[in-house]
Amino acid sequence: MVANRLGKHSNVGTPPRAWLIGAAAWAVPGAGHLIQGRWVRALLLGASVWIVFFLGLALGGHLFSVSGKDQGFAILLQLLPMIANIGVGLPYIACWILNVGFVEKAQLVTFEYGNTFFLAAGLLNYLAMLDAFDIAAGRKE
Amino acid sequence: MKHLLWMMLFSGLAAVVFAVVSKGSGRRRLTYGLKVFAEFLVIALVLGWILYFIPFR
Repeated sequence: MVANRLGKHSNVGTPPRAWLIGAAAWAVPGAGHLIQGRWVRALLLGASVWIVFFLGLALGGHLFSVSGKDQGFAILLQLLPMIANIGVGLPYIACWILNVGFVEKAQLVTFEYGNTFFLAAGLLNYLAMLDAFDIAAGRKE
Repeated sequence: MKHLLWMMLFSGLAAVVFAVVSKGSGRRRLTYGLKVFAEFLVIALVLGWILYFIPFR
């Protein structure tokens, strides 16, 4: 019975297309559902994540990254929020290349809001990515 | 007031994502989304008032 349950939920038999769609959903918020022709879902999820991300930028939030300067516990303090930030996909990488959003703007009243919006954008996109993956794998309608 | 509006915007957008990825009929999702939105606001306001009365300094 346990083996049956494990078999039912294991990744054996997951089509490679589902992994590609999952990757696309991570890279560009909304793309995973758009590829599958789920226009309404793509619009709602994509728009929500993009708006949250750009609001984070507008409010003066900063994106986290682990640098060589961080030691010990400081690495963990940077790593966990960085994982959340990376969830937004290519926008994070674009900001990293352009060096936008990585500077802390503590002088702004809303900078903490910005940080929260950035973190939420990544985490919400992880949810959207898993949803797109599940649909592509046939685990969800 | 602006802070409350930012919080409402954040709650609304997060609730949209939660509602869309949830299971069930369209109506059920809408109800769930509204519930999540209300929960975000109520919990934030309650926590805000609790923290207001705690002297940190």
